[in-house]
Amino acid sequence: MKKTILLIAFAVVGLISCNNEGAAVNTVSSMKTPQMENFDKAFKSLGDPQNRPTEEEKKRNTSELSDRRKALLVPASKDLILSTGVTEAELTRKTGGDMSQIIVWATQIYMKKSDEIRKNIKAEN
Amino acid sequence: MKKLLTLIGIAAVSLAYSQGIFIINNYSGYDFHGSLSANNFAGGCYPYVHALNPATIIAPAYSNMSNSNAIIYKNYKDQFTDSLFPIGQWTVTTSPTNSQPRAWNHAAVMPGGTVANNTRWAATKFQMYFAGTNTPETFFNGNVGNNANPCVMIDNLITTPYGTAEWFTITTGTTVTTFLEIY
Repeated sequence: MKKTILLIAFAVVGLISCNNEGAAVNTVSSMKTPQMENFDKAFKSLGDPQNRPTEEEKKRNTSELSDRRKALLVPASKDLILSTGVTEAELTRKTGGDMSQIIVWATQIYMKKSDEIRKNIKAEN
Repeated sequence: MKKLLTLIGIAAVSLAYSQGIFIINNYSGYDFHGSLSANNFAGGCYPYVHALNPATIIAPAYSNMSNSNAIIYKNYKDQFTDSLFPIGQWTVTTSPTNSQPRAWNHAAVMPGGTVANNTRWAATKFQMYFAGTNTPETFFNGNVGNNANPCVMIDNLITTPYGTAEWFTITTGTTVTTFLEIY
């Protein structure tokens, strides 16, 4: 009886450790910061029905994202920039509140962080 | 004197742009198969650059930034080592009579070089396929690109009952970030 219980206990420990093995396999997605995830969501939201180009925006002779839609990307972009330790004052000083500058800066941070995560995963494996 | 002025002109145009990043976000349930081109928006359209090998970029269904599967090209060179769909060769067309295949690491397509500095991501001719198959969604295709391109007449939005393809830029100063979003 004792032996059986011991065996079961070992089996359980074995299973748990195997489970952990799975959890330890990291992907870039699973290692993103919440700010990076929100940045992703903001870009995805551009395709939501209410955020798609309006009739007026479709008529423009430019492919530059409209101010209305840039504004959808700004909050997540700001959060991502601030998450790197940049202060609100620095952000305002460097961008002058210009939406494009804020989004492009955030995009650069996003790409850099993604590259770093990818490198860390490679180093771990 | 004229030559000098032309040279100065070209140099000024060169300063006006840097190639910028190109990001493909496919939020749709279809696979994207499409060409990719870039060209000079400012001075006479040349050079043109086309993805040659492979000539068709495939962005599988749902591959986008959210799951870190977006195809991101930083420039003609680095994309080969750091993107999810590397282009090994580009066609670089510098005049109506001069067109050359160039490897990703060839001097002609280096970041900061004349071709990179004078071209901007321009357009794709695409067809959507049912995920993981060779079966096209007959009604979800088209040419989409930067509609401010003086050399290529193209729409920046293709809307179909099966989905939408949109090309847009976010510009600050000389940095142009270009997105192709499919949703």
